[in-house]
Amino acid sequence: MTALTATASPPLRRPFLPLVRAEVLKLRKNRGLVLTAAAMTVGAMIVAYTILLLLHAFNPDHHGPGGGVANLGNGVMLLAGLGSVAAILIGAAAGAADLTSGVFRELVVTGRSRLALFTARIPGGLAVLVSLIAAAVVIVVTVTVGFAGSVAAPSAGLLAGTVVWLLVEIAFYFAVALGLGSLLGSRAQTIAILLAWRMAVTPILLSIGALGVARDVVPGAAFNQLAPDAIGKYVREGGAVPMSVVAAVVALAAWTAVALGLGAWRTATRDA
Amino acid sequence: MTPSPFVIETAGLTKRFGGRTVVQDVELQVPRGSAFGYLGPNGAGKTTLIRMLLGLTRATSGSMSLLGLPVPQRRGEALARVGAIVEEPRFHRYLTGRENLEIVAAARGPEAAHRIDGAIERVGLARRANDRVGTYSLGMRQRLGIARLLLADPELLILDEPMNGLDPAGIEEFRFLIRSLVAEGRTVMLSSHLLDEVEKTVDALAIVDQGRVVVQGSIADLTRNGPATLMIASADNSRARHVLGSHAAVSSIVSEEGILRVQLGRVDERVEHEAFADINRRLVEAGIPVYRLEPEHASLERRFLEITSRLEEAA
Repeated sequence: MTALTATASPPLRRPFLPLVRAEVLKLRKNRGLVLTAAAMTVGAMIVAYTILLLLHAFNPDHHGPGGGVANLGNGVMLLAGLGSVAAILIGAAAGAADLTSGVFRELVVTGRSRLALFTARIPGGLAVLVSLIAAAVVIVVTVTVGFAGSVAAPSAGLLAGTVVWLLVEIAFYFAVALGLGSLLGSRAQTIAILLAWRMAVTPILLSIGALGVARDVVPGAAFNQLAPDAIGKYVREGGAVPMSVVAAVVALAAWTAVALGLGAWRTATRDA
Repeated sequence: MTPSPFVIETAGLTKRFGGRTVVQDVELQVPRGSAFGYLGPNGAGKTTLIRMLLGLTRATSGSMSLLGLPVPQRRGEALARVGAIVEEPRFHRYLTGRENLEIVAAARGPEAAHRIDGAIERVGLARRANDRVGTYSLGMRQRLGIARLLLADPELLILDEPMNGLDPAGIEEFRFLIRSLVAEGRTVMLSSHLLDEVEKTVDALAIVDQGRVVVQGSIADLTRNGPATLMIASADNSRARHVLGSHAAVSSIVSEEGILRVQLGRVDERVEHEAFADINRRLVEAGIPVYRLEPEHASLERRFLEITSRLEEAA
């Protein structure tokens, strides 16, 4: 550290990428969070497919191969459910960690735009989340294709469609958790609200036929609609809600925009 | 363009929470290149003023500038050369000291990242920089907080109650650090309710009470403004008291534990010195042996109490 030699303000040069790296660092070094999320994604896939493979190995007459389309559906159903929980955990941490630790104030006094601080959380959190999901997907693909045995292995098109659908669902719950976490400033409240919504409220709403088209706004209905047909019977939750693909996409986009918009607004306006 | 002589200027700055006014019409000028104290009792609005300056909360009315730049309009530019600690410095406790600095450096810009090693070295945390902050003592977290604000290579440092919780050695170290930062040409503004520490550390200060700045100026000016007092110890204090009772410059004499505290009326420095000499001469001429004759240093604490007691009387 040297003495001051100039008083003129230097031109501001503040690239965005280091902010994203800082978000990744914060999440990656949170061992409890990463281990839990890894257990729910990679760990769950290892356990599930190991059981399927062992069952088939020890009793092939009663248990089919561990691979194939059916077990792609079963695996993806599990990964979508637990992966979305992992996404909620990571999103809530990304949205609220700076606030609960008090570091948000330290970041604001750097003069950095609050909007930039918020925006960096999106790619930062997704980088951590997607790396876990990618590892889990590698397991799914390896087993369902490599151990299909006598049943049909999933096609490349089905695998691609499944992965895209899975990533959209995971990213959606991450974005909503990030926005809600930034809005509330509480990781625990965010997780509680979204888990209740995801696990309890969504299946109930989707099964109430009397709600009619109002169910279109429930994200679970949109994900049911967008799921690849070949694995639809495995991954669709609650009652079927007839809706167009466009309506499903609009519903998910609207939820995402509202959640992130509220999070950004609160980050920009809250007392730090 | 000549930089403003003041690094912080506020005009009519006011903050209200509902019907409660926490900061009221504050007019503050912090001179460049000084250590400036913002002194007041707990609840006087010190932290709220700092939070407004840093854009952590919005002002209800009034205007302010940092380093000559109006805030909040040019807050980003201004804060790029400002380092601040508001209340206790906060960190992600599960990250190491160095990682916490990396996070703030990422927000500040690439130059800040290059200053991490130097900042850690300067605050004496090199051996613990790779330990998790959760294992640090309060003093170490304070030092890491200083390292974090040095990442900005700041022209202005704003420290809110920086000596809270430090042990005497830590306070001494902190005082030395502040003086060394000022010697480098930086300005340090620190808020505190610890009068003694402020007096030892700063060149100038503002005294704040109930959200208002009641007086500001250099330490020398503020402590000189009170009436001069002589402390006299002699072989016969009662006769000395009688001799000085009729002196024109003396306004009161109080005997305390064998010492006469002789207070003069409000006079300028030259007249004050002449009165001291004349008092000494009269005692000697009266044949009273004088053991001690010493102008009392008007402490900031005495001055602070005078000001706040006047305010209470006026209320």
